Amino acid sequence: MSKMSQFMQWIDDRFPATKVWNEHLAEYYAPKNFNFWYFFGSLAMLVLVNQILTGIWLTMNYTPTGEEAYASVEFIMRDVEWGWLLRYMHSTGASAFFIVVYLHMFRGLIYGSFRKPRELIWIFGMIIFVLLMAEAFMGYLLPWGNMSYWGAQVIINLFSAIPYIGDDITIWIRGDYIISGATLHRFFALHVVALPMALLLMVFLHIVALHKVGSNNPDGIEIKQYKDENGIPLDGIPFHPYYTVKDIVGVAGFLFLFCLVIFFAPDLGGYFLEPPNFTPADPLKTPAQIAPVWYFTPFYSVLRAVPDQQLGVIAMAGALIILFFLPWLDRSNVKSIRYKHWSFKIWLALFVVAFVVLGYLGMKGPTPMRTLVAQIATFYYFAFFLLMPWWSKWGATKPVPERVTH
Amino acid sequence: MKKLLITLTACLSFSLQAAEAGLTLPNDDLPALEGDALIISQQSGMQVYVNNCLGCHSLEFQRYNRTAKDLQIPEDVMKENLIFTDAKIGDLMKNNMSPELAANWFGTAPPDLSVVARARGTHWLYNYLRAFYVDSARPYGTNNSVFTDVGMPHAMERLQGLQAKSDAVVALEGQINEAKATIASASIAMEQQDASDLEQKISDAEKAIVDAEAELVSLSKAGKYFSIVKAGELTPEEFDHATADLVNFLDYIGEPIKQERKRLGVWVLAFILFFGFVSYLLKKEYWKDVH
Repeated sequence: MSKMSQFMQWIDDRFPATKVWNEHLAEYYAPKNFNFWYFFGSLAMLVLVNQILTGIWLTMNYTPTGEEAYASVEFIMRDVEWGWLLRYMHSTGASAFFIVVYLHMFRGLIYGSFRKPRELIWIFGMIIFVLLMAEAFMGYLLPWGNMSYWGAQVIINLFSAIPYIGDDITIWIRGDYIISGATLHRFFALHVVALPMALLLMVFLHIVALHKVGSNNPDGIEIKQYKDENGIPLDGIPFHPYYTVKDIVGVAGFLFLFCLVIFFAPDLGGYFLEPPNFTPADPLKTPAQIAPVWYFTPFYSVLRAVPDQQLGVIAMAGALIILFFLPWLDRSNVKSIRYKHWSFKIWLALFVVAFVVLGYLGMKGPTPMRTLVAQIATFYYFAFFLLMPWWSKWGATKPVPERVTH
Repeated sequence: MKKLLITLTACLSFSLQAAEAGLTLPNDDLPALEGDALIISQQSGMQVYVNNCLGCHSLEFQRYNRTAKDLQIPEDVMKENLIFTDAKIGDLMKNNMSPELAANWFGTAPPDLSVVARARGTHWLYNYLRAFYVDSARPYGTNNSVFTDVGMPHAMERLQGLQAKSDAVVALEGQINEAKATIASASIAMEQQDASDLEQKISDAEKAIVDAEAELVSLSKAGKYFSIVKAGELTPEEFDHATADLVNFLDYIGEPIKQERKRLGVWVLAFILFFGFVSYLLKKEYWKDVH
């Protein structure tokens, strides 16, 4: 036995290192027909690591007080070696996180990856999404620019719509009667400690659940039905090395776009870093128009589309909560878009249009016409999910192949 | 490669910033400069800034020596010619104005301008700085057509002299105000009665505003927005040039790393392309045996 394998034996006698490696990588069999849409899970992990690492280094120079937060960000941008790069990687990473997560969720939607037996994977994923929204919202306050301040003001005030105790809850969240250094300090604690830990735990559970049941694939069929004499799925290939080397190609593609933004357009024309946020927080000066960052705008549009504030908050929360129930809303007898009735493609295409339109309108100031369009899109958003048990059974499905098509 | 990058960045900067700032009047474009021409412009922009602006507007996040290094100004030249306080070369570019007193003088304390170019955009700044005109109704005798009733006096009057709106501009503004009054009264009337002729009236007035604004923009581009009523030390062309330098300097101050990150970015992207190519070959090699 070589020195190296002796060492591994020593470890394995005390800790299941080889066992974990094999179960989750070298002998974890994934369907061999993954396509483009299957890059976004590993890319989400990459962005998570990027956010954690750049976040740690930003924390070393950031000061979470009302007096110094804004100046400390500019200190990072000017006086900290490579501070500008850390900050742009982090700020661009926030937007990139939502881009890859939205695409990852869309993949689930088109291939039915949330269907039995993967309901828990979907629910864990939805919890990650909600945590991510909270994480991004709290992170956005930290630069202490004027949009940070007023954006947080608007979002925290949403909680005042809760009957009887709403106002007390907003004070409890802020730790003050207005947004102040106290709010900033607690958001910092939540942003850098509490929520990242919760996120990591949920990502761990998401993957444990995935590896228990195995990955879905673009055909929406179970590869575990056909195994060879050794119990290995005939259509499965070991995740490592096949998908590790494939994902690296995806990583290169992602990094190209990511660095294009970081080095050539870090504020992306005002979408990733908003111009009003280059003015320090000022409780006496409201920005001309308060709009959340792009990744929140579809839900913000739903809120504004409802004329009554209280009902608007309920609608916005509903737009998120309804996603949790997706595994039980889809009643089609096939999983993948490839074998569903053609009407699915129409329902889905309109859903994508509605979601993008809501996102666009959320960045713009309201006009009667825009509100009307947002109301139609909101109506469709809910109709898509609430009527799914009915329309997903429409029409004939195509025959599903026994084995994956490759 | 470089051309591709320029095209891609141009595609990416479908600017929300411009839309956010709205239409500025006048509406002239800041001449685009690159490379050495940009640095020379920024150098003289710094000269304009320390002579005309720094007394009131600090650059409290930026250091003199960083500026000297990035703008290729020798430190001793900067110390002798561009530092008017007893600040050391490594100090932040602050001033001695008391914010409380300043608020009393101008209605609001002059803001720090370290990141103003990122908040307002260079287009806005270039037009704002050239938009002070005679208005006897204002405490300092000038108003600004980009930022109406701004508290700031015309700080560069010595250089520019004084200008007034041309007759054509005054006439067009009259039309716009009239149209706005029509819209306001028609909107109030509509709350009491609903009449489609009122709607027609409003949409006509809205169209009149759009047309008048378009004409104002073309007047501005033709250099006929303002006319000089009292000459300053510089000719109008020289003053535009000095303002462009000043705005380029503020753009540098807003993000000192801007030019360097673009230079680095080319190498980073080139490396990623190479890395992507190699990893694609690796993937192809491994996947040969997957059927």
